[in-house]
Amino acid sequence: MNTPRKGSLLVQDARTKRRNAAEARFKAYGLTAIAVGVLALIVLVTSILGNGLSAFRQTEIMLTVELPESKLDKSGTRDLDVMKKVTTLTYGPILAKGLKDVIAANGIEIEGLTAKDVDAMISKEASAQLRDRVLADPSLVGQTVEITVLASGRIDGYYKGRVSLASAELDSNVTPAQLRLADALKDKGILVTKLNPAFITAPDASDQRPEAAGLGVAILGSAYMMIVVLVLALPIGVAASIYLEEFAPKNRWTDLIEVNISNLAAVPSIVFGILGLAIFINFGGLRASAPIVGGLVLTLMTLPTIIISTRAALKSVPPSIRDAALGVGASKMQAVFHHVLPLAAPGILTGAIIGLAQALGETAPLLLIGMVAFVREYPAAYSAADGLFGEPSTALPVQVFNWTQRADPAFFERASGAIIVLLVFLLIMNAVAIILRRRFERRW
Amino acid sequence: MDDMRYLEIDVTAQTNKMTARGVDVFYGDTHAIKAVDVDILDKTVTAFIGPSGCGKSTFLRCLNRMNDTIDICRVKGTILLDGEDIYDPKVDSVQLRAKVGMVFQKPNPFPKSIYDNVAYGPKIHGLTRNKAELDEVVETSLRRAAIWDEVKDRLQSPGTGLSGGQQQRLCIARAIATSPEVLLMDEPCSALDPIATAQVEELIDELRSQFSVVIVTHSMQQAARVSQRTAFFHLGNLVEYGETGQIFTAPKDPRTESYITGRIG
Repeated sequence: MNTPRKGSLLVQDARTKRRNAAEARFKAYGLTAIAVGVLALIVLVTSILGNGLSAFRQTEIMLTVELPESKLDKSGTRDLDVMKKVTTLTYGPILAKGLKDVIAANGIEIEGLTAKDVDAMISKEASAQLRDRVLADPSLVGQTVEITVLASGRIDGYYKGRVSLASAELDSNVTPAQLRLADALKDKGILVTKLNPAFITAPDASDQRPEAAGLGVAILGSAYMMIVVLVLALPIGVAASIYLEEFAPKNRWTDLIEVNISNLAAVPSIVFGILGLAIFINFGGLRASAPIVGGLVLTLMTLPTIIISTRAALKSVPPSIRDAALGVGASKMQAVFHHVLPLAAPGILTGAIIGLAQALGETAPLLLIGMVAFVREYPAAYSAADGLFGEPSTALPVQVFNWTQRADPAFFERASGAIIVLLVFLLIMNAVAIILRRRFERRW
Repeated sequence: MDDMRYLEIDVTAQTNKMTARGVDVFYGDTHAIKAVDVDILDKTVTAFIGPSGCGKSTFLRCLNRMNDTIDICRVKGTILLDGEDIYDPKVDSVQLRAKVGMVFQKPNPFPKSIYDNVAYGPKIHGLTRNKAELDEVVETSLRRAAIWDEVKDRLQSPGTGLSGGQQQRLCIARAIATSPEVLLMDEPCSALDPIATAQVEELIDELRSQFSVVIVTHSMQQAARVSQRTAFFHLGNLVEYGETGQIFTAPKDPRTESYITGRIG
């Protein structure tokens, strides 16, 4: 037997001091780790917001243009087939003339401004937009209409800090005279930078037209894929976990399956892309770039996550509930579906939404199945030729990847903007997970 | 409660409700129950007593095949309910459990309303034809479990919000709502305070008029108070089985005597 230690309680002995010091050190490590994490998050968010928020604003020029019948509809019949033969090359000069008229009308004189400079103020996309508008409403021909057109990417960049008078001297794509003209137009209220809903709704645009590029097709493609993942992965994953957890005999085979599911969760996602390419496109004959293929690949990738989290949720339901149900004569299935599943529901939902969020942000496998293609057409949910979700599209993370590859710095801004959209979607999904969790949570 | 009350309990000859012959239970390689023969009489309270780990709960769970849910558990021998072998391959354990109800050691109400807790059994067995009948079953069951007056105004509030003793009586109401013939109780009072225990014991005595009750208990006073017959288990063997009065006053086996006088266990 040890003898009881002597000493005052008011004085700490050496051993106690060491223990307290160790505890204080440990707390400090933890606080440092959290501080580093929070700092990283702040840097990330500020850099993305700083680079990307401007993508939601766009510089536009308000013009009054004549739409001469002699150029746009030589037949004079307003026959769409005839009018469709008029290309954007004809519409371009109409816009340029409109801008020249505005400059003259406002008495703006800029030294060294050439006619070509004035043409280049307007986005190349604008003539296509005007053509679409005329074709949609042929009665416009012969009238004088007020339209708002996109300014070119460099002019837009001038108001977002990407381009300056000094950098324009060195840049073959923009001249200082153009920028001075832009300032003069802005003073007159003809050129404005305003909110840009087209960034969310418009399809992608070519390398020359960053000002027109939008996320419409990518958002649609991601939404279609999420529907496929939700419809396939959730029922399959939950059914598989319920069987494995509640019904399957515990033997070597189920152990093997369990180990394999855990390993699948750790397989690099690009491997699933190769699998999808081999099975769904080469063997199954589905169309490349189709959301259905992307959805199937992401389903395979998400299944292990959902199965693991669902099994954990089922395991956390106390066995006494199963006993109680069996004790009053419920069958095993009744016990599971009436009592265990409702209690596990919050955990299952959280797991499913985390899996879905993971799938939403996944890029690598989609590159392999061709979702990185340049797609201008909005994909239909169903078409006779390509079936359900069979039309080519892109996806949000792939669009980010795609835009960062392009030369024009305006695309970098748009990539950051796309990241903001992606993050907003993820935040919404997590919020939904929390709300569902609160609603379904029951204590026992 | 008077601990000597067992002396006054009169046991009349009754028919066998359940008969166990040569029951062996194995958990993997462990031989948990060794050749147990027991007769459970109709409309009688039978108590299983014995030290921890002696197999009394295991044996109780054999009586309604709750052991089926444990993969490594194997049962040998015959257990008859009204002359029918409950381990016959043709027997569906779900039907059996409707006849042999169970109340567990820890109160385990479903995380649903009080009403739904009691109504669940009748619902899944299709015992009632309409809501009025179901309401009646719920009320009768709660009344017989002596909890009706406490919960009649809050039938829709969650069963998990009740106190421990109320929860256990709710579980008893849930078990008797399916009108079982035998009610198994696995240490139903171990988580309760003395007042709640007294209420449950009174209840058990009342239930005797309709059911056979089998109760596992650690408390010898409780066995003496509520049961007419007592079985003493030790290390997986049924050491002695007989009328409660005889077991407690004149045990035949020296091990029983040591246990009830506090020398082993």
